[in-house]
Amino acid sequence: MRRLILLFVLLFPTLASAATLHVSAAASLTDVLQELAPIYEKHTGDTVLFNFGASSLLARQIQEGAPADLFISADELKMDSLQQRRLIVAATRRSILSNTLAIIVPSDSRVKIASPADLAGDSIRNLALAEPQSVPAGIYAKEYLRKLRLWQKIVFKVVPTDNVRGALAAVESGNADAGIVYKTDALISKLVRIAYEVPAAEGPEISYPAAVVADSKQPAAAQRLLDFLQSPRAQGVFRKYGFLVKPRQ
Amino acid sequence: MSAAEWHVVAFTLRVAALSTLLIAPLGVGVAWLLARYRWPGKSLVETVVTLPLVLPPVATGLLLLKLVGRRGPLGQLLDRAGVDVVFTWRAVVLAMMAMSFPLLVRGCRVAFEEVNVRFEQVARTLGASDWRVFLTITVPLALRGIVGGLVLAFARAIGEFGATIVVAGNIPGRTRTLALAIYDDVQLGHDDAAFRLLGVAAAIAFVALWTSEAVLRRRGAPR
Amino acid sequence: MKLELDGVSFPLAHFDLDVTARLSSITTGIFGPSGAGKTSLLEAIAGLRRPRRGRIVLDDRVFDDGDVHVPARHRRIGYVPQENALFPHMSVLRNIRYGAADAPVYECVRVVEIEHLLARRVTTLSGGEQKRVALARALVTAPRLLLLDEPLAGLDRALHGRILDYLRRIRDELRVAMLYVTHDPEELAGIAEETVVLERGRVVAVGKTAEVAGRPIISPGGP
Repeated sequence: MRRLILLFVLLFPTLASAATLHVSAAASLTDVLQELAPIYEKHTGDTVLFNFGASSLLARQIQEGAPADLFISADELKMDSLQQRRLIVAATRRSILSNTLAIIVPSDSRVKIASPADLAGDSIRNLALAEPQSVPAGIYAKEYLRKLRLWQKIVFKVVPTDNVRGALAAVESGNADAGIVYKTDALISKLVRIAYEVPAAEGPEISYPAAVVADSKQPAAAQRLLDFLQSPRAQGVFRKYGFLVKPRQ
Repeated sequence: MSAAEWHVVAFTLRVAALSTLLIAPLGVGVAWLLARYRWPGKSLVETVVTLPLVLPPVATGLLLLKLVGRRGPLGQLLDRAGVDVVFTWRAVVLAMMAMSFPLLVRGCRVAFEEVNVRFEQVARTLGASDWRVFLTITVPLALRGIVGGLVLAFARAIGEFGATIVVAGNIPGRTRTLALAIYDDVQLGHDDAAFRLLGVAAAIAFVALWTSEAVLRRRGAPR
Repeated sequence: MKLELDGVSFPLAHFDLDVTARLSSITTGIFGPSGAGKTSLLEAIAGLRRPRRGRIVLDDRVFDDGDVHVPARHRRIGYVPQENALFPHMSVLRNIRYGAADAPVYECVRVVEIEHLLARRVTTLSGGEQKRVALARALVTAPRLLLLDEPLAGLDRALHGRILDYLRRIRDELRVAMLYVTHDPEELAGIAEETVVLERGRVVAVGKTAEVAGRPIISPGGP
């Protein structure tokens, strides 16, 4: 009888370990994770369901009890707030990626931006940013502009969006003259071009921490996925999209 | 309540009032045509007018965005004239107008349909022009419903969120309305502030309804 | 008064109206069972309804003829509907003055003896008083023709004689021509010289009231 069960399990590995994982991830990871997921699903038979959005919104959702197995934030602050509330498995927390900022304009725009200071010029009537009070991409952009003492000069032009992809869309549509998003977002879109790439050394420290959510019903499967995201295969894909990969701890 | 919060309230009241004022003539007119006449294309007009009521508000916002955005058909003309709409207070007014228009038309249409045609007929035999009949007979007899429609439209404008956030954005000091401010407070976890603003929104609705009732009572509008 | 109706036709609920008649008495009755099309015919003569076909000519003025249609407000044809349709949001005096412009209304008020009612709200009047106000209101435009739709309907029998007296005064003192529609031939006896009998939308007899209205109605309950 035991041999029969063993045979059964070996022949149908999917039955033995089929987990459905809910992953809440920062909006900037949308495209890269959607490319990685099918690879992971084929290998393991697990199903991965994504919830992309501003990290601030996702953290709030997890706080209010939304189902999630893995959380990947675009800044440490959001992960800190969940860790303080003991909503993540602290031992599983690690920073897996970094990124750089880019100033973008619509691809048919004739505006010249040689440096960030040009954002204060008259030809830039509005500047799309993810909400600078709460969304990581916006917080990073504000931090950067503050450092350059440009924030006060452009704050009245800011059009805040719910997440970084909203800022991208605003520039793509031509309704915003310029925007600040992650370089990885700019690379995704053919409708915008990078007017100025913020060198990593000058820009803010960007970090994408990931952790297994404390209330997860499949922590082992979540951990497996997290390990996969740090595998050489996955790291290759991240680099392809323009992310900076943090070494595995 | 902080100064910024009062600013949001004042801004919302201003744009909602402007929106209601702008849709009033067209809304009353369209309601009148729908109530009294049959004409080719009438069902199409009825459907288009009702659309913002049944579509998700963000969908209506999207349609507006495509229309008046810088690359849109109307937006290009406006851009050449130097008029910015998207991400400005004008887009807020536009979103409010689109979302409250169907409510105004519905309310007025029912009011007009309830006015007995005989009154209008007799007025015509007494020599009154169509305008005079409309202003001296139809509107006074339908007034209760018309005022009700306007108040409802105003209240809807105050509460407008989905279309506004898509076409006007949520820009503090420029396009942040009461509804958007409540949303922000909720997002940031400032529940106390959210409830404060909620209280103001409820108070506004209450005052609007009470005022319309008082105005109608003073006129002695017949039932 | 000279009224020519030539093939005046339009569709009704159960049949088509098709009326041809030449009327010249100062008071003419139109008599027929309910549903015969009497009210619709009055509406056409008043200009409130456009016939599909036919001619309507009053005192050599062409009011309807193919493409020609003179709207009600230019016809100076008074209309007193069965339910009076007094404007409920106006006083008696304002109702009467509605068609008056600057013309004096004293004669109209005097002939139906409602001087004491002028300040009253119309909703407080009795049935008989309302009918008299409706008459005065229609007379104010010095109409060429006064259309009366079942003027005694809904009034106490005791009032009938009194209202008929007022109508006779209008006929004799003001010399206003009248079309008197009813389903009760006895009413016509003392007031209309000629009568048109209408049945299922068609004229089945025209002539002296006594001869014509004496005939029994063929279909008493209507179509």
